[in-house]
Formats: sequence, C-alpha cells, structure tokens
Amino acid sequence: MPYHPLITFIVAQGVPLQTVTLLLMLPIIATLVAFFRQVIGIKAFGIYTPSLITFALIAFDPNGIKYGIAIFVSVILVGMISRLALKHSRLLYLPRVAITLSIVSLSILGILVLGGHQQRTGLASISIFPLLIMITLTEKFVATQIEKGSRVAFILAIETLIISVIGYYLVSWNALETLLLNFPWIVLVTFLINFSLGKWTGLRVTEYFRFRKILRHL
Amino acid sequence: MFNFFKKSGSLLGMNARNLQYIRPSNRKRGREISDNKLLCKRILKKNNLGVPALITRVRNYEEFETFDWASLPNSFALKPNRGFGGDGILVVYGRKKNGDFTWIKADGSSITLEDIKNHIRNILDGSFSLANTPDIAFFEERLKLLKLFKPYTYKGIPDIRVIVYNHVPVMAMLRLPTRASDGKANLQQGAIGVGIDLATGTTTTAIIGKGHFIEYVPGTRLILSGIKIPYWKEILRMSITAQQVSKLGFLGADIAIDRERGPVILELNSRPGLSIQLANSSGLKRRLERVSGLNIKTVERGMRVGMNLFGGEIEEEIEEISGQRVIGSVEKVKLIGKDGKEIEVEAKIDTGADSTSIDTEIAKQLGFSETLRIFNEKISGKNILDDLSKEERESLFSNIPDLADTAKIKSSHGVSYRPMIELKFIMDTLTIPAKASIIDRSSLEYPVIIGRKNLRKFLVDVTK
Repeated sequence: MPYHPLITFIVAQGVPLQTVTLLLMLPIIATLVAFFRQVIGIKAFGIYTPSLITFALIAFDPNGIKYGIAIFVSVILVGMISRLALKHSRLLYLPRVAITLSIVSLSILGILVLGGHQQRTGLASISIFPLLIMITLTEKFVATQIEKGSRVAFILAIETLIISVIGYYLVSWNALETLLLNFPWIVLVTFLINFSLGKWTGLRVTEYFRFRKILRHL
Repeated sequence: MFNFFKKSGSLLGMNARNLQYIRPSNRKRGREISDNKLLCKRILKKNNLGVPALITRVRNYEEFETFDWASLPNSFALKPNRGFGGDGILVVYGRKKNGDFTWIKADGSSITLEDIKNHIRNILDGSFSLANTPDIAFFEERLKLLKLFKPYTYKGIPDIRVIVYNHVPVMAMLRLPTRASDGKANLQQGAIGVGIDLATGTTTTAIIGKGHFIEYVPGTRLILSGIKIPYWKEILRMSITAQQVSKLGFLGADIAIDRERGPVILELNSRPGLSIQLANSSGLKRRLERVSGLNIKTVERGMRVGMNLFGGEIEEEIEEISGQRVIGSVEKVKLIGKDGKEIEVEAKIDTGADSTSIDTEIAKQLGFSETLRIFNEKISGKNILDDLSKEERESLFSNIPDLADTAKIKSSHGVSYRPMIELKFIMDTLTIPAKASIIDRSSLEYPVIIGRKNLRKFLVDVTK
C-alpha cells in the first residue's frame, strides 16, 4: 500500500481502513461546520447533527444524496405536520417528542414499503443505522420548534442539510481521502484553523447581507 | 471595495459581540440576574429603581392548588420567571362585570379562570423557559400606555432598549408592538424599532421586523422620526444604575413608561440583539470602542459622555462638508509616548491654549521620567530665569534626552520654563503628532489639555 507508514501501521493492527478514513475526516467536517457558523453565518443544528447527517449520507451510498435528502426532507415535513397536529393537546416535552418520533418512524417505514413497491429496491434496502440517525434528528427539530418557532426550526434544518451535503461531497472527494491517508498529519491543521475561527471577530457573510442597507450610510 | 470593508468595521457582528463584549463583561452572577426576572426585580427595587410591582407568584404545584383565585385583581400581567423573547406573557385589562371569573384581553376577547390556570400549569412545566426546566409564574401590575405612544402602538406597551457599556449609554431604540408582533415589543416577531438620538431622546430612523426600513407606522400617516421620548434623562440614568447594580458590563436594559409611574425597568438582557444598529442606521462597534477604557466614576458622568458622544445627527454632515472631525470639549485620547508606550485618558479640548500639555505623572508613564529628572536638576535653584537669552537656554538645556523644546511661561512671578517632548495622540480615530509641555496637573480635573496647534483637523462643538 502506498499510504503513510502510520496509516499502514494502524491498518495492520486490524482497524478497518474505512474507519480510519472517517475518523480522520471528522475533524475536517467539524471544522467545516465551525467555518460555516463563524464566517458564513449559517447556523444549522449545532455541530453534532450536521456531522452525523454527513456520515449518514455517506452510509446511504451509492445513492447517498438522492435517498438521503429524500429521507431528511420527509423527517422534517412529518415533524412539522406532527407539531400542527399536537399543538392544541398541551403535552409535556418528552411525551410530545416521543409521539413525534413514533409518527416519523412509522412514516419512514411507509416510505420504504412504498419504495419497495415501486421497485426502488435501493430505497428499501437502506441500512438501519443511518436511518436511525436521520430519525433522531426529530428531537433536535422539535426542541428548536418549541424554543424558537417553526420558521426558525425549518431554516436551521435546511441549513443543516446544506452543510451536510457539502460535507458529503468533501468526504467523498477522492483527492482529499488520498491526501489524508498519505499525509495524516494534515488533520492537525484543523486545530490551527479552529483556533483562528475561535478568535475571529469579523462580520459574518450573512451579516454583510443583513446590514447591507446601512453599510451605505455609515 | 476597500471602502466597503472600512465602513463595515464600525458594525458589531455576532462574533465580536460574543467574544469581545459578552464573554469578558457579563459574568455568571450578572447572567443569573438577567435570566431570573423575579431576582432582577428584587435587586432593582432594592436599589430604588422603578419596576412593575409584583402582585403575587406561584412557585410550584403545591402553591397552585392552594392559590386564592379570588384575590386576583381586575388587571394584571402573568409572566414566566425564566421566559425569553416575551413568550408566555398574558396580559388582561379588566374583569367582566357579571361577577364571573372572566377577564378581558387586549384584543377584547375574554379569558376564563380555567384558561389562566392552564397557562400557569404550562409555565410551571417549563413550556416557556430555556431547556424546559420547571419555572415560576408570577403576576405583576399591568402598565398603562402613555398617551403619546397610543397612536403608534398596536395592543401592548412600547419599550425602550438602551445598550450600556462601561457605564455609558451607547445606543438606544424605541420598540413599538405591531399587529404582526401580536402586541409584543420584539423585533424578531415583527415589532417596529426606532433609533434614538442619545443627546435629545428624539427618534431618528426606523425599521420593522428584521430590517425593512420604514418612515411611517404601517397603514397610517404617522411619521416615526422626531418623537420626543419623555423622561429621557431619567431613562438613561436608570439604565446606567441598572448596569452598576447588575454587574452586567454589556447590558441591554428594557425600560417602559407607565402613564402614572413614569419609567420602569421591565428586564435586563445580557445578550442584547444587533438589530438596534439597523434601527439607528449606525454601528455599535465604533461606539463601544470610543467608550471602552474610559474611567467613568458617576452615573451623571456616564450619562453626559453618552449624550455628548452619540447625539447630534447633523454633526456627521458637517464632517462630510468640512473634512474636519467634530469633537466635544472633552474627548478620549490615546497618547503614544516613547517606545510605543500607550495611555488612554480624557483630555480637555482647550482652544484658549496654544499648545498641548500633559501631567507630570503621565509623562513619566509615557517613558519621559529621565527627561524630567535631568531637566529639574538643571533648573533647581534657578527659580526665575527671565534673564536667559536663547543661546543661554540652549546650552543650559542641551544634552537632555528626548527634550524637544522648552516652553517659556510668563506669569506674575516672572518667567519659568517647562520641558516639551514629542508624542503622538489618537483622537476620534485620527493620529496627530504633537509637541507637549509637561506640568503638574494633579490638582486639575483633566490630566491632558489639547491646544490649538494640534486641533487643525477638528471642529469643537461646545454643546457636545
């Protein structure tokens, strides 16, 4: 193998190459999310959710983007409909999330069956773990709905999807994978980037947009 | 493009707000006060600041079960203790005459005791608090709308947000509830935000919701600029005092005006929003930088500095025409001495003085102690130097390090000489090289005066 000796060593210890690649990719995804928040101004649901969704999209391959986005959008739509349905029942938080979660998972089951029926076997044979990750997105979504309202929750969900899709293309980019396996130390650069992001006090791109009308008058 | 980025430098963004202002200025105790309305109310009241009077509170289900519902007054505001963004607030204006437990809301609809109980249950369960932690519900007096604001307001009560930093009010806006915001004075929900000139308390530009500029109240011909806010000085005074007692270094104080009681503090915010910049068409960052490091000892002083620095719309137009900066009679300056040593002080702008002079102590801090020491040695025992010719002076004061010149001062006692040194100072973002004389000013109010020679790039506005 032409990889860096360190990678060769790790693989020789029995760690699957894919695991190594993904673990090396995680800091890069996390840095991507941090960059989007601090410099661009796209918030998403924190750092945990977009990173997980990114890996879920990869796990959906070979049709990652197509099915991943479909499932993601279904989860969000069903989450929004459930909120409308439960709005007037005044339930406590956890039971409410539990009900929403149940509705979402039943709907996903329905979609899978429908997909199989339409001869879309790719959809029906998706493995369960990425599916579960997508479904647990519901809790984050419902919590945001309650705290900040449906509109904000919807926008954050779309932002999460955008970051995850970009993350997906980054991770599936062969050149980056080769680079990481040949020069694994490059991962340490993310520390440097994050330190600078952590001290970055400039305006975010979205803020240039937000304040565009007064920038002219200042 | 370069100009664009230079301009945007005066705006405060989220990153800078969190890292440079909230994090270092608002410690845990302050945040606790801002998040806990009852605690906040108690502390403000103890310090003689007006707050809406507390009627009673329901702390848990036990108190809820034994609550005497007959004791509720005809009008009140029911609030969650840890609510945010104005959520979960229920206001009733009166009780139905027929003796039932039925109240009337702002829009005329009625609400039964059962509805109110349900609302309290929701509050106790934490439906309106961050992270849904169990909460306390409390009843407080309903504020009465000021006649002046009536035409501008849809339901609800307008409030005034004042940002206070380092004991100086730096920016303010009037928030008017609209139909879209459902009577809440919250910009994120569609309320109107109107900028306020700090010197006069008069409104300037206005936005609705997240940043759409407007001139009139939607659907009317009521102009939003030029509203003169009553009790303006009192409002500023209260916000500064609130900062002192809450220890929130970077504070957004929300103050409403009651028709009978005058200004009362509704709540204190430890993470004030940034839309206030849009409402004022002005950047917060430059304002915050201008007051940071100032030594403000009294509330009055803080108020004066804020009014002086951040009032006067017209001044910017003058600056554009003359190319000169308009400054007040007292300005913050940064002195840069030997080897880049820097000190920030307040300086008196003295158009009656020819040149700039600084206090002995400051000169020492700027790295000129050696100059001073040798100079004093040379003149010791020569109190009156009036018979010195130019040559004699030059030879007497030669070989003193960093001495740029000497100033000849005539007084009734005769003539004396002061040492002069070279330094730079930064005032209102301009860097000015200056020769300054050194004198003991310890008994005077300002340690530095800036004289005419160094004021060519400025216009002095004595009302500032």
